Amino acid sequence: MNEYLSQEKSIYLQISEMLENDILRDVLLEEERVPSTNELAKLYAINPATAAKGINLLVDAGILYKKRGIGMFVAAGAKECIRMRRREAFFDTYLCSILDEAKRLNISRDELISMIDGNYERSTKD
Amino acid sequence: MSTGKLICNDLVKKYGKKEILHGIDLEIEPNKIYGLIGRNGAGKTTLLSVLTAQSPITSGTVTYNGMPVWENQAALDHICFSRELNPVIGWGANSLKVRDYLKSASYFFPNWDKSLADRLVRDFELDSRKKVCKLSKGMMSMVTIVIALASKSDITFLDEPVAGLDVIARDAFYRELLDDYTETGRTFLISTHIIEEAESLFEETIFLNDGRTLLKESTQTLLERAVHISGKAEDVDAATAGLSVYHPEKLGRSKGVTVLLKEGQQIADGFDISRQSVNLQNLLIALCGKEPQPHSADVSVGNTEDSL
Repeated sequence: MNEYLSQEKSIYLQISEMLENDILRDVLLEEERVPSTNELAKLYAINPATAAKGINLLVDAGILYKKRGIGMFVAAGAKECIRMRRREAFFDTYLCSILDEAKRLNISRDELISMIDGNYERSTKD
Repeated sequence: MSTGKLICNDLVKKYGKKEILHGIDLEIEPNKIYGLIGRNGAGKTTLLSVLTAQSPITSGTVTYNGMPVWENQAALDHICFSRELNPVIGWGANSLKVRDYLKSASYFFPNWDKSLADRLVRDFELDSRKKVCKLSKGMMSMVTIVIALASKSDITFLDEPVAGLDVIARDAFYRELLDDYTETGRTFLISTHIIEEAESLFEETIFLNDGRTLLKESTQTLLERAVHISGKAEDVDAATAGLSVYHPEKLGRSKGVTVLLKEGQQIADGFDISRQSVNLQNLLIALCGKEPQPHSADVSVGNTEDSL
């Protein structure tokens, strides 16, 4: 939860991604309370409405849930849910730009595949 | 917390023969942080002073919770305009001491929070025995911040609160502001030229240009519909054909433009162009900056209120 905000992307998206990253890294555990809208607003010096929008994205996706009067909590199965969602977005987020750049540089399909083959092992840590 | 709105209709303000504000309509709602953005001379300070009855309006109306604001204590009790301090008042130096300044503010504002004022003075390391004319620019800003926050008014206007403040003090101010806002939910309207670091505070942004409101919109929505497109000039023109295009810049075959998309519009697909998000600061430059001399007449440059 302590990454810097960048100006490249909407802040609420960054807030929800940071929360997701923290869940994937076990910084936030399932059934644990996540920082409140106001806590996030103060930490990042952002409008609480923006922080709330980021949190609500995750509520809509079933990753966080609300306990009335207490706060937002990480749902059971949240980690798996985030992985699934990111898998679905993987093509749009990463592969599309790789393919575009490869075409611009005249990297052939076979070259690209052999690049992936040669490097896959070293980047599977995460 | 009060639920009153501050509303102005067709507000015109002249100083002598010179008209500064040309018919402004605004609605300031409770429980929001607004940013007031515009160039020097756009009329920001004038707008704030007529909205708070510190200066008479020429025509139009200003009401708080349905009541006229002018010379109406019942309305003004809810409103604070923390003006920029001046080292000189009238013909002489402003020789009031900081603590006397704060003391007089405490009589003005019915909800004055003395313990908050005292704490802020300590945190900002302000010497309350100093005379205002002996303060640095940054220290004067700190005094206006203390007054604004401690006033606990339902609607609080700050005019360039961070002018002259170092980056640490600015950061401290943003956090104090959010602390107060998350606790009280009162409305703040902040004019600033340091847009880049404050934009994330503003739920809504008001662009004032040449005495008119250019736009008033949720900051988030505004930034989502602003996009910078660059690439080969023909591709950029083709991808942005029919859209509201601002601030074209050309270099050789390359061209960059800022586009403000309207609902339902999008940048045409299928062109090898770069698209980047635009922050408030760059948007202000694109919308209010001087247009560079166009090299060709094929650019449709929108600059009227309707085209936003």
